[in-house]
Amino acid sequence: MTAPTDRDLLVRAMRGESDAFGELVTRYQTNVFNVCYRILHERGESEDLAQETFMRAYDRLHTFDLEREFGPWVRRIAANLCLNHLESQKSTAPLDEGRDADQSQRPERQVEVKERSEQIREALASLPAQYRVVVELRHYQEMSYDEIASELKIPLSDVKSHLFRARKLLAEKLHAPD
Amino acid sequence: MHLTDHVTDVQLNEYLDNETAERAQIESHLASCDECAARLSVLQSLFAELDSLPELTLSRNIAARFTTNPNLTPQLPRWLTLTATLQAAVALIALIVAAPFIMTLLPAIETPSFTDIFLQLQSQWIAWLDILSTFKMPTLPQSPPLEISSLVLTLTLAGASVLWLVGNGMLLRKQIK
Repeated sequence: MTAPTDRDLLVRAMRGESDAFGELVTRYQTNVFNVCYRILHERGESEDLAQETFMRAYDRLHTFDLEREFGPWVRRIAANLCLNHLESQKSTAPLDEGRDADQSQRPERQVEVKERSEQIREALASLPAQYRVVVELRHYQEMSYDEIASELKIPLSDVKSHLFRARKLLAEKLHAPD
Repeated sequence: MHLTDHVTDVQLNEYLDNETAERAQIESHLASCDECAARLSVLQSLFAELDSLPELTLSRNIAARFTTNPNLTPQLPRWLTLTATLQAAVALIALIVAAPFIMTLLPAIETPSFTDIFLQLQSQWIAWLDILSTFKMPTLPQSPPLEISSLVLTLTLAGASVLWLVGNGMLLRKQIK
């Protein structure tokens, strides 16, 4: 028996079958959590916001167009939620000590790739909130400049400048000589 | 842009994002300018690092909240909730306004006993059966006269209304919870 498609599950979820929506959550929860984690860089908060993302998505199911894909839709909700969360905290400051370094996942002897990944995550987390979200939407959700401007309701020129400045800051942090 | 001009950082960003209309000119310049090609290479390595970031796994299963909570239902659209509330409010006001008139009309209505209702339904049923047994579609010039009393009509309408309400209630029960 073939697994139901996202569309099948969405139709059932729209009829009020929470099990069908649960199956969609199972499929996309890691994806959504990673959106949150790249922006927030804090495991607990990211998991909470990933859960809230799916709650929001469930409440807005009646607005979802079945011709679209569920994944990009729910990831955009996550990115917006994280941005609102950061703005409500005014947390555009550099990393504080509470930000985790994913220690729960790190073995005693970290391999080089993991260390570098952590450096990238920390560099991303040190960016101002708006920059982080623009990088997320461009690099990880592969949205065009126009789509980002429309999603965040900001001018196209801001998208370009945010991306440019964000990358400049990232390059300074990641490519700086030790 | 002129081939001799260096490519700006903004242009390099737009080039790597596939968001420039000057793609051909930029490529021509990059082919002949080591300095710009080196800057492009640095930016490309940043893109590669960002894109290679591995995905982490969750420490808890978010889906459990949805699969173990059968009462979780999507919220109805706000306009629908408001309309239903408004309808209920209007119905309540109408009932309050109509109450005195209903109270004066109620004593004038003779309530038949259950036996009377049953007997009338039985005789009506027999009459319908008679009509059905003699019914011949092509030969009848006109429909046989149906003698339906107002009581039977009222009861039929009341029954249909109850069925309609029960049916809708069953359909909407998940959204009402």
